[in-house]
Amino acid sequence: MAEVVVRRLLATVPVLFLVTAGVFLLLHLTPGDPVDAMMAESVDAGAKESLRRELGLDRPIAVQYVAWMGRLVRGDLGRSIRNGEPVIENVSRRLRPSLQLAVLAMGISLLVAFPVAIVSALRHNTGVDRAGTTFALFGICMPNFLLALLLIFVFGVTLRWLPISGYLDPFDEGWPGLRSLVLPAVTLGLALAAVITRTLRSSLLEALGEDYVRTARAKGLSEWVVIRGHVLKNALIPVVTVLGLQLGTLIGGAVITEYVFALPGVGRLVVDAVFARDYPLVQGVILLIALGFIVSNLLVDLLYGWIDPRIRLR
Amino acid sequence: MAGSIPESAYADRIVPGASVAGDRRWDALRRATRARLAPFGAAVLLVAIVVALAAPLLAPYDPLAQNLGNSLARPGRAHWLGTDNVGRDVLSRVIWGTRVSLVAGFVSVAIAALAGGVLGMLAGYAGGRADGVVMRLMDAVLSFPPLVLALALGAVLGAGLTGVLLALGVVYTPTFARLMRGQVLSVKTRDYVDAARALGASGWWIARHHVLPNAATPIVVQASLSVAFAILAEASLSFLGLGVQPPAASWGSMINAGRGYLQQAPWIVFGPGAALFVTVVGLNFVGDAIRDGLDPRLTR
Repeated sequence: MAEVVVRRLLATVPVLFLVTAGVFLLLHLTPGDPVDAMMAESVDAGAKESLRRELGLDRPIAVQYVAWMGRLVRGDLGRSIRNGEPVIENVSRRLRPSLQLAVLAMGISLLVAFPVAIVSALRHNTGVDRAGTTFALFGICMPNFLLALLLIFVFGVTLRWLPISGYLDPFDEGWPGLRSLVLPAVTLGLALAAVITRTLRSSLLEALGEDYVRTARAKGLSEWVVIRGHVLKNALIPVVTVLGLQLGTLIGGAVITEYVFALPGVGRLVVDAVFARDYPLVQGVILLIALGFIVSNLLVDLLYGWIDPRIRLR
Repeated sequence: MAGSIPESAYADRIVPGASVAGDRRWDALRRATRARLAPFGAAVLLVAIVVALAAPLLAPYDPLAQNLGNSLARPGRAHWLGTDNVGRDVLSRVIWGTRVSLVAGFVSVAIAALAGGVLGMLAGYAGGRADGVVMRLMDAVLSFPPLVLALALGAVLGAGLTGVLLALGVVYTPTFARLMRGQVLSVKTRDYVDAARALGASGWWIARHHVLPNAATPIVVQASLSVAFAILAEASLSFLGLGVQPPAASWGSMINAGRGYLQQAPWIVFGPGAALFVTVVGLNFVGDAIRDGLDPRLTR
């Protein structure tokens, strides 16, 4: 296992190098002068020159890259040009709501997907199964922002049960804090639930047809024991793979969800930085998100090997 | 590699007869239409294409014409999907928005298929260092969550449809590059490729006559499945304000503009929302049908 981890980590090194180079080049892809794009036309030339010097844009690109990488290795991701604060501080302040949203959404998706997929697979080709697969199709094709607005319309505007925007920390505010996260978490969770339902249903159907399930039933085990002990365990492997593949979609979904519900998370920070043309902040946050994404994928890969011994032995 | 030989001389020996190819195409079509929901998907796609092409004829009003005296009007005979906050006809804007969505879906996927196809072919054929560089580059692109990468690229390329098309093209390129490389690696070890090489066929000739026809099927399947997601991605970027700029109509930007009026005029959001949802569902069915039709493994 240790060898697999080391091999996987080594394979990440060139990718990390290319990712940092790509993020560095983002600023230079701007058509025209990036400083003109970041500052209004009315800003005087002196201020623009000062920003150009501060960002090192007056030096050759190779020198800029070496200096940027040097700072990066020391953990300095630059400063926002809007509030002057280091990127790391901007992100760490926004991390809490994003993590709370992700955990709640993941919980909701598992709570919805498992029962729906199990019932669908057990009642294969019946009305219940068709309802389950329709739900999955609905969730996959429904854009995140549209689902968010539907939920706001029904539960916020019409029924007035839940707040439609804003954020209160559940750890400080308790129930009102949790209520502020319900609609965003359901929005994000249902989309993920749809993908998990589809995958789990088909892998359950495959596992239900296996010989060991027939043997377990022939032994006289109850249906629940057969499902829990034999079918579900074997059907989980593709779900882990799909969860790994869906991480990127989940992060994208979180960006939209945080934007719609005015949740002050990392996703909202990206959108705000993009529209403020705060390029150093955009670079810093995108790089951190990419690093987080690479690490999560690495963990999913290792988890996959841990769950399925056949992969470990390969 | 030896110089190329006349195509006609070689083609006679290895290209299957036209009737066999024709039969295969009919088999594919038969398999595709066997999917229960394919007709619905095809109908949706057909309607969307007709609406996009005939938008100037079908739209009852000018999609940009404001009428402040008739703002937030409920859906009725005069305005089937109501009017928005500045009195523009929602149906006309939905009809014009179809153009943007279809262009975004098809063009961005075409860019990705072309760029990915060329890169994948280069990586698979050249092997060695070129393969390593191209594939690590693709891994690096895949290291960014797709929407976040599109958002960052859209931001630096500037708001507007061109920026979005290029950004989505870049985001989807690695998928096609990986597919093409896999096909090239698999095809180039086949006996008939060795035979072609022995007969003196050039690398380019082999790529055009053996690799491309074999790689076309998975690329077409992937492209058909990607279009729906590209349409969703364009709508998401427009919703965030990066796509087609106001006052031009796109489904995503219409939904964003309408969310402030959800209580008084939900039709501003749900008109374009329904169009987007139905189109994506339809395209998914078409994509599934194309996959079922072109993938012979499913018929075994």
